[in-house]
Amino acid sequence: MQQAIILLMVLVAGMGLSVEAGLLGPLGEQVGHLSATLSIFLVGALLLSLVLVFTRRRLLGQLFTQPRWMLTGGILGPIYVIILTIATPLVGVGMTMVGILCGQVAASLLIDHFGLLGSEKRAVDGYRGLALVIIFAALWLM
Amino acid sequence: MLPIVFALLLLGGAVLAAQSSINGKLGAQTGVVESAWLTFAMGAVITFLLMFFFESPKEATLFTVPKWQLIGALFGVVYMLAIVFAVPRVGTAAATVAVISGQLLMSLLIDHFGWLGNNRLPLDPSRYLSMALLIGALTLIYLSHRRRAFRLAAAE
Repeated sequence: MQQAIILLMVLVAGMGLSVEAGLLGPLGEQVGHLSATLSIFLVGALLLSLVLVFTRRRLLGQLFTQPRWMLTGGILGPIYVIILTIATPLVGVGMTMVGILCGQVAASLLIDHFGLLGSEKRAVDGYRGLALVIIFAALWLM
Repeated sequence: MLPIVFALLLLGGAVLAAQSSINGKLGAQTGVVESAWLTFAMGAVITFLLMFFFESPKEATLFTVPKWQLIGALFGVVYMLAIVFAVPRVGTAAATVAVISGQLLMSLLIDHFGWLGNNRLPLDPSRYLSMALLIGALTLIYLSHRRRAFRLAAAE
């Protein structure tokens, strides 16, 4: 039950991601793609800084005691957004979504299957393999 | 040109999956807010440097566009917090499929109604079928997780 609630929450968060992309596209056309991307990261960083200062000052220092590779998530985010803004005008939103999602699903199953990047190992069983096939069929239909 | 763009898009998707995995791990070690903060702070620094040196000037700036166009970041923050909270609890694959389902559902709505100043692309039968398939895939991954949890419980 708790799993289902978490998955539902993530689903709603995914809907928000599409709203963000829907806002970012027209904004990038007007002010430039890098500026639009900056607005996302800057506002996000400032809001979260406020949250941290007032609620969890003590935990912030722990970030810098972690292995370095664990801190690279912040480099990957801009790579994704910039690829998105380069591709959308060239191939359209639909094709952009299909390409991104294919890469995302395949990579996430690989990460889980081999326990890469410190993730817990979750072998790709029949259910998950079938799910991947169904997702590719769904993407092809889009 | 097209194959290069498509390869870039696959890379972008893989990068996104790697990021949720790394941030999930980091979030489990430090905290959800700390991990999300690091991602946004580093992203802001990197994109500022890129914008400062490589952006060609435009007539409109971030300060002159209508303010509602700037609230995208709020959705990004909510997404980041949700994904960092969820990955250690349900796994990268299940979290990713849930995100994809939400993303596609909402993008179909935006396309169908032409929300946020985007072009109208009405729903057709193949898009409905596609949504149904995705819900099926999400259920399968959920079942796979449940089955594994039962096995672990039985082993103890």
